[in-house]
Amino acid sequence: MQNKSITFGSHKTKGAPFLKRITKDRLFALSLLIPSIIVTVMFILVPVLDSVIRSFQDYRIKNIIAGTPGQWNEFANYMKLFSNNKLLPSIETTFIFVGGVVLAQFILGMAMALVLNSNLKGARFIRSIMMAPWIVPTIISGLIWMWIYQPQYGLLKYVVEIFSFGKITDFAMLNNPATALFGIAIAALWKQIPLTALLLVSGLANVPDETMEAARVDGANSVNRFFHITIPYMKSIIKVTTSMAIIENFKQFPLIWTMTGGGPNNSTSTLAILSYREAFVSNNLGSGAAVTTVWMLLMVVVVILFNIIFKETKMD
Amino acid sequence: MSKMKKVLSLLLIFALTVSLVGCGGAQKEETKTDSAQTDEAQATNEETSETSDNYEFTEPVTIKFANYAVLEAGYDVFWNNAKKGFEEKYPDITVEFMTAEYGQMLTQVVTWVGGGEKVDLVFGEASWLPTLADAGIILPVTDTFSEDYLSQIYPSMMDAMKVYGIPYGVPMYASPFIMFYNKDLFEQAGLDPNSPPTTVDEMMEMAPKLAALKTADGNQVYPFGMTTASVGVSGSCLTSLVYGFGGSVLNADGQLDIDNAGFTQTFEFLKELDDKGYNPQVSKLKDLRNLFALGQLAMYYDQSWGFNGVRSINPEAANFVASAAPLAGGQGTGESVIQAHTLMMGNNGEAQVEATKLFIEYLLTEDVLVPYLENVAPGYPSMMALSEIQGIKESPVLSGALKSLDTAKSATNIPTINDFNLELTALSQAVTVNDKEVGQSIEEFKKVAEIILSN
Repeated sequence: MQNKSITFGSHKTKGAPFLKRITKDRLFALSLLIPSIIVTVMFILVPVLDSVIRSFQDYRIKNIIAGTPGQWNEFANYMKLFSNNKLLPSIETTFIFVGGVVLAQFILGMAMALVLNSNLKGARFIRSIMMAPWIVPTIISGLIWMWIYQPQYGLLKYVVEIFSFGKITDFAMLNNPATALFGIAIAALWKQIPLTALLLVSGLANVPDETMEAARVDGANSVNRFFHITIPYMKSIIKVTTSMAIIENFKQFPLIWTMTGGGPNNSTSTLAILSYREAFVSNNLGSGAAVTTVWMLLMVVVVILFNIIFKETKMD
Repeated sequence: MSKMKKVLSLLLIFALTVSLVGCGGAQKEETKTDSAQTDEAQATNEETSETSDNYEFTEPVTIKFANYAVLEAGYDVFWNNAKKGFEEKYPDITVEFMTAEYGQMLTQVVTWVGGGEKVDLVFGEASWLPTLADAGIILPVTDTFSEDYLSQIYPSMMDAMKVYGIPYGVPMYASPFIMFYNKDLFEQAGLDPNSPPTTVDEMMEMAPKLAALKTADGNQVYPFGMTTASVGVSGSCLTSLVYGFGGSVLNADGQLDIDNAGFTQTFEFLKELDDKGYNPQVSKLKDLRNLFALGQLAMYYDQSWGFNGVRSINPEAANFVASAAPLAGGQGTGESVIQAHTLMMGNNGEAQVEATKLFIEYLLTEDVLVPYLENVAPGYPSMMALSEIQGIKESPVLSGALKSLDTAKSATNIPTINDFNLELTALSQAVTVNDKEVGQSIEEFKKVAEIILSN
C-alpha cells in the first residue's frame, strides 16, 4: 500500500492525472483480454445457452437441416426424462463412477508419486515410461481392455482361472451388471493415474525439506509427517489434480460407449451415455440437451462443493 | 520503449480479434472460391453433354458419395473399381467419396448436411433410412426411379426400404439373419453335418452334444450364439428371433406390439440358453464371428456378409461353414428380418439426382454386382433377375439359407429404431445376465419402450 502511494505520488509530481493513468491501464488490460473474451463467449457461453434453450424445445435433426427453429414443448423433454426412469439411475451411476475413480485415482496416484519421489532404484525409468497409457487414445484404451476382459479368450479370464485353480472358468467382468462399471473404472484408472502421479510428484517438490527435517527431529513419524506436512503443502496441486479428475470422469463417454455401450441392462449408463442416446441415437436433440443441462447443473454443484471443501488456506 | 511495446501488443491483439471474428466468413469465402474453381475446371475439361434416356447433362456433374466401405480393406478395391468403371462409361460424371468409419457414418452424414455440405448418395444400412428420411436428407426413390425399374427388386427388400409407407432407398443386396453352423463340430458331436436343426426344439436337442465338445486347446464350445450386446444391430437380430417364434415387436404404424406369445417365448428361450451356458453372454456379432472362426461356436445368427468377419480371422473357415434358414420356434415358421445394404439419394438438384440415379443403376448391373457378391460381400442380390446366379446358388455361405429369403420380412422403420433396439438388448440382458423373471422384465421394457416410441 505504501509503495503504491509513493508511485501514485510520483505520478502526480510528473503532472500525469492519477485517475486517467489507472483507467488507461485498465483499458489496456481489457484490450488484452478481448480475444479470450470473444473465444469464451463464442465457443463456451453461446453454445451452453443455446443448449439450455434447446432443452425446452422440440428440436430435431430436421430442424438443423431445414434451418427451422425448435418449438417450445412445455417441459416435455424434462418430463420424459423423469418419467422413463432413466435419469436418476444415470445420475447415480455417474456419481458412483466419478466418486470411485477419483478417490482411487488420488490414492494410487499419490502412492505412485511417493514411490517416484523416493530414491528407489529404477524410479527414473518408471517415471519415463509411466505416461504411456495416458498417451493412448481413449477409444484404443477401451478396445485394449475389452480384449483383456474378453470372457472366452481374454487375459483376465486366464489369470482368474489360474489363481482360482481352475474353479472359476467363466469370469466375465463386463458381462455382469454388478462388475461392469468396476471394469470400466479400472480402464479409466489405468489411463488417468500416470498424469495424476506426475502432477503430484511435481507437488511433492513444494514440500520444504527443512520443515520435514524439523518434524523428524521433533519425533513425528512418517504417517504424521505425511498427513500434517506433506498433504497441507500439496493442497493446491491436489486441488488442481482432483478437479481435473472429477471433470474428466464426469464427462467420460468414449471409454464407456466403446466398452459396454451403457449395458449390460443399463448398468453402466451414465449421464454422458444417456445424453448421447437421447440426442444421437433417438435423434432428439432437445431431449439430449435436457440431459446435458441437468448434467451441467450437477457439475456446477459438484464444483461448488469441491471448492468449499478445498477452501484456500495459506501455509506459513 | 514501454509505449512502443503497448502499441505493438494492441496491434497484435487487434489482428487476433479481427481474425477470430472474421474466420467464419473467410472460410465461407474460401469454400465459394474453391467451388467456383472446381466448376470452372470441370467446365473447361469437357464441353460436351451426356445424354441419358431421360435427362441431358449440360455440364459436368460430381456425385458426392458418403461410403464407409471405402475405408475397409477388401471392400475398397471394389468401390474404387466401380467408381472408375462408371466414370469411364459416363465421362461427364465424377464420383467423389466422402468417408467416415462405419459407426460414425450416420452422424457424419447429418453433420455434413447440417453444415452445408452436399451429399448426393449414402451407402449404408436400411436402419439408417428413418433417421435420414425424418431429417429430410434423402429422397423417396419413387420420385426418381420408375415403377417399372423398382418392380424388378424383391418386394420384401423394397418393403424394408419403407419409412411410414414410402420407400427411401434402393437395396443393393440383402440378407435375412441366417444361421451359420460349423460342419466339423457337428461331425465331432456325432451329428449329421448336412442336417442342421430347423426348429428351436431340434437345436436344443443337439446342443448338449455340442456343449460337451472342447477345442484342440481345451476351450469350451458354445452350441448356439445369439447377439445380445448393447448395439443397435443386436436389437435387429433379436427382432428377427422374435419373428422366428411367430411373434411381433412393432406394428406397421410403429406402435409397440409385444403382447404375443412369440415375443415372450423368445426371451424365455434366451433365458434357457443362458441358464444352460449355451450362448456366449452379451456378445456382439463380431464376438460371435471370432468364436465361430476359432471353432468355439457351433451355430450362430448373422447376416450373410458377416462371414467376411469370420474369414478375416480364419481363412480356413470356408471349409467348415454352412448356412441354414433361421430356426422356427413356438408357433412360428422361422421368419427373419431382412437387412439390406442400401443406396440412399440426397436431393441436390436435378442434375445431381439424375447422375446419382445412373450410378445406382450401374451398381446394380450384373457385371458390377455379381462379382462383388461372389467374391467380396456374400449377399443376396436385390434384383430378382440376378437370383439364379450359379456362384450364389452354390456358395456354402449363402446356398443353405436361400429359402429364408422367401419368408423374410422387413422390420418397421421408425426414427427412434436404434434407441428402441438398444432397449431390446437391455431386455435380453435383464433376463440373462441379470437373471430377472421374463414377465417382469417385459413389463419394465414396455414402459421404457413406449416412451421411446412416443419420442
